Amino acid sequence: MQIPFRYVDRNTIIHRLHPLVKILYILLTLLIILTPLMEVKYVFVPLVWLVMSVILWALAQIEVSRFQTLIKLLTGTFIFLILVQGCTYRWGNTVVLHFFDLRYGETNVGTIKLEGLIFGTMLCLRILTAAVSLPLLVMTTSSSDLVNAFRWLRFPKVATFMIISALSFTTLIFEMWEYITSAQKLRAFDIDRMNPITKLRRAYVPIVTPLVLLLFRKANDFQIALETRAFGTPGDPTVMEDRPFTALDWVMLALILIVFATAQYLRIRLGAMK
Amino acid sequence: MNPLEIDLEHVTFTYEDGVEALTDLNLRVRPGEFIVVLGANGAGKSTLCFLLGGIVPHIYGGRRVGKLSVAGHDPWDEPLYVVAQYCGVLLQDPEVQLFNPSVFTEMAFGPANLKIERSEIIRRIEASIALLHLEGLEKRNPRDLSGGQKQRVALGAVLTMQPRVLVLDEPTSQLDPVGRAEVVEAIHRLKSTGEITIIMTTHETDDILDLADQVVVLDEGKIVLSGTPAQVFSQPEVLRAAGVKVPDALDILIQVNALGDQPVQVTDEQIERMDGRYVGNYTTELIRKGHLEVTRSPETPCNGSANQNPAMLEAVNVTYQYPGYPPVVALQEINLAIRAGELVGIVGQNGSGKSTLVKCFVGLLRPTRGEVRVGGKNISGTPVGRMARQVGLVLQNPDYQLFTVSSRDEILFGLHNIGIEGEEAEQKVNSALDWVGLQDEIETFPFRMSFGDRRKLAVAATVALDPQVLILDEPTTAQDHRGRYQLAEIGRRFRDEGGRTIVMITHDMDLIARYAERLIVMWNGRIILDKPTDEAFAQREVLARTFLRPPVAADVAACLRDLGVSENIITPEGLLSVLRKGKS
Repeated sequence: MQIPFRYVDRNTIIHRLHPLVKILYILLTLLIILTPLMEVKYVFVPLVWLVMSVILWALAQIEVSRFQTLIKLLTGTFIFLILVQGCTYRWGNTVVLHFFDLRYGETNVGTIKLEGLIFGTMLCLRILTAAVSLPLLVMTTSSSDLVNAFRWLRFPKVATFMIISALSFTTLIFEMWEYITSAQKLRAFDIDRMNPITKLRRAYVPIVTPLVLLLFRKANDFQIALETRAFGTPGDPTVMEDRPFTALDWVMLALILIVFATAQYLRIRLGAMK
Repeated sequence: MNPLEIDLEHVTFTYEDGVEALTDLNLRVRPGEFIVVLGANGAGKSTLCFLLGGIVPHIYGGRRVGKLSVAGHDPWDEPLYVVAQYCGVLLQDPEVQLFNPSVFTEMAFGPANLKIERSEIIRRIEASIALLHLEGLEKRNPRDLSGGQKQRVALGAVLTMQPRVLVLDEPTSQLDPVGRAEVVEAIHRLKSTGEITIIMTTHETDDILDLADQVVVLDEGKIVLSGTPAQVFSQPEVLRAAGVKVPDALDILIQVNALGDQPVQVTDEQIERMDGRYVGNYTTELIRKGHLEVTRSPETPCNGSANQNPAMLEAVNVTYQYPGYPPVVALQEINLAIRAGELVGIVGQNGSGKSTLVKCFVGLLRPTRGEVRVGGKNISGTPVGRMARQVGLVLQNPDYQLFTVSSRDEILFGLHNIGIEGEEAEQKVNSALDWVGLQDEIETFPFRMSFGDRRKLAVAATVALDPQVLILDEPTTAQDHRGRYQLAEIGRRFRDEGGRTIVMITHDMDLIARYAERLIVMWNGRIILDKPTDEAFAQREVLARTFLRPPVAADVAACLRDLGVSENIITPEGLLSVLRKGKS
C-alpha cells in the first residue's frame, strides 16, 4: 500500500520553495473552498485553482500512483455524494431518473434531480480542490522546514512538535495496519475477501485493537525518546537552520496571488451574471 | 563529594501496579567504567536503565526505597530535561528514537533544546559523526538508513548532549549481524575515549567480553552475581540458572578444561583474547601436553540426513519486486524445494529476501514472476486465509496479532476462522497450549504475559490450525537466551512428533547449528548457499561474503583439523564428543 501524505524527497522548485509560500497557498485554498459557490456558473472559480494546483504537482514531479488510496477513497465518496444529493436535493424539479415515489418532507427521494446532481458535483469539486492542494505542503516540505516555518509564525514549540509527530505517526499507522492485517490473515482471517457488511460487523476489532494498543506503546516510547533529549526544557531551542526568502519564492508568491485574484475576480463577475 | 559516578544503596523499586522490579540493589560504579548488566527478559534490566535515566518516576510511576546517585544527582528529584544533561539513554528500538528529517537535525535536537550555542552544537555533531563513522550521512533521512546506522545515529543524538553517564538498553537486540557489529565497534571506540561512564544491558554476551570492566547479573530484580568478566563467566551454572547465555567460546573453553582436569576458572587475560581461534589453539595445546586426546572424528556429518520425501514448499524461478520509487527487487530467480519433514534454517542479512521468500510461501505476497507450490500445487489463486491451514507463519512481533482477553480466545479466533467450533475447538486449544507449555495460562490476558510467553502464544495460535509447515520468522529477536531455545525446541518437537516441516529464519548461528539440518544462505535476493548445515558452515568464504560467521564450535574444530578433528563439527556437544581426557 502506498502511504499517502508522506514527504517525498526531491530537488524540484516546489521542494525548494519556502514553506511559508506553501502555507499561504494552503490558506488561500481554504478561502476558495469555504466560499459557498454552489451554482454551476461558479464552476470556473475552483477550476482555476485546481488547474494551478495540478501544475504545482507536475512541477513537484510526484507520481500520480502515490495517490492510489486517496483516489479510490475520493471516487467512492464522490459517487455517494452526487447520488445522495441527486435524490435528496430539496429545490430541484428537473427529474433525470425516476425509480419510485417516496416523499420525505418536500422531496421525492425516489427520483434523481438535475439540480441535485449539479449541487453534488459542485460540492465534490470543492472537496477535490482541497484534496489536491493540501497534501502539497506535507509531501514537498521536509519536517525541519516545517518546524522552521511554524517557529517563524510564532507557533508554540509543543504545538509544532505535535503536528510534526502526527505526520510521522500517520506513516507508522499505515505500516502497522499492514503488519496487523497480514498477521490476522495468517490466522485465516481474510479481510480482503469479506463483503463490506461482514467487514463492518467483524473485521475491524482484530485489527484496530492491536493497532491501538501498539500505538499507545509507541507513543510511550516516543515520549521517552523526546524527554530524555531535553524536549521539556523551558523556552525556545537554538535555531540550527534558517531559510531566507529567495527570488524564486517571491516569483511563486506573486503567481499564486495573481491566480487567487483571478479566481476572486471570476467569482464577483460570475456573481453579477443572472 | 561522592567519588562514584553511579551509586545505588539498597534500592528497591515497585511499579504502580505492585510489581517489584528491583529488590535491594547495590551497585557502585567509578567514573569511566563500563558496566554490563545481564539477565533474562523480565529480570529488571530495563527498569534499572529507566531508574538511572529518570524515566521512572517521570514517565513510569512507582515507589522507590533506598539511595540513588547518578553523576552526583538523584534523578528522582529533577525534571527529565535536567537528568538528560548528565545521563543519556539509548533505547532498544532505533525507530522510535529518530523523529527528525536528517541525521544532522537529529543530532542537534538534544543540545538545541538545551539552548547550547549553534557553533558548539555543530562542533559536537562533527565529533560524534567522526567517532561513530557516520561521515557523509549528515543530510540523509535517518529512517532511510540501515539498522546499524540508525542505532549509531540515535547514539550520536545522545552523545551530542555530552552526558557524564550513558545508559544503553539492549542497543543491539533488534539488529542483524552487520548492524550489531557496527554498533559494538562504535561502543568500543566510545569506551576507548575514557570520558564517559557506560552501563549497558544485553543478551549478547559474546559481544561484551572485552568491553566490560564489571558484569552484573540480575535475576528477578536481584543481583545474583557481579564482578569482573572472568569472575562472572567462570560460574556458568549460576548464569544458566539466571537465563544468561554463557559466551560460546568461553563455554567450550570451560568444558574443555573440565574434560582435561584443568582449572575451570578463566582469567582476565583469557577473557580479553576469547574467540574460536583462541579456544582452538588452547585445546591444541592441551592435546599436545597430553591432557586431552582426540577419540574419533565422525566420517559422516554430525548433523543432517538425506531426506527423500516429496517437496512440501517449492519456488520455481520466483522473482518478487516491491512497488515503490524506485521499485525494489527483493527476490531474483529463486529455485528451491523444501521437503516434507525437513528442519531448514534460512540466514542472511536484513534485506536479503528471507522474509519476502516465506511471505510468498504463505501467499501474503504473490511473485512478480515464477511460481510457488505448496504440497505440489500452485498457490497463485489460493487466498491467504486458506493457505493458513497448510503453512503457518509466526511473525517476529506477537503484538501484531494478539487482541482478545484470554489465551483461549486468542487460539479460538483462528479455529473459528477455519470453521472449527465447539468441543473440537476446545480440544485443539488445550493441545496447542500444551505444545508451547502455556497450559496454565489459558485464561490469562495475553498483554499481561511476558514477551517470551506472548511469542509462544502466537506459536500456539498457529499450531492449533494444524499446518503442514511451520515457519518461525526471527524467533530470536529481542528474546533472551532461554526464550530463543524454547521456541526452537517447540519447532523441533512439532517436526519430530507431528511429522511437520519447519523453516526457521534467524541470525543466531548457534541456534541454526543445533537445530537445522539444512542451511540456506540468502544475499541480495538470491540463494547463494543451500547445503546440509555442517557442510554449509564449512564454506567460510561464501559466509564471509555475506558478513556471516560460522558458530564458534566450527572455528575451534577448524583449528583442530590437523589433529584429526572433522571440520564438519558445528556444535559444542559435537566437539566434546570427539575429545576425551588424556593420559597425563
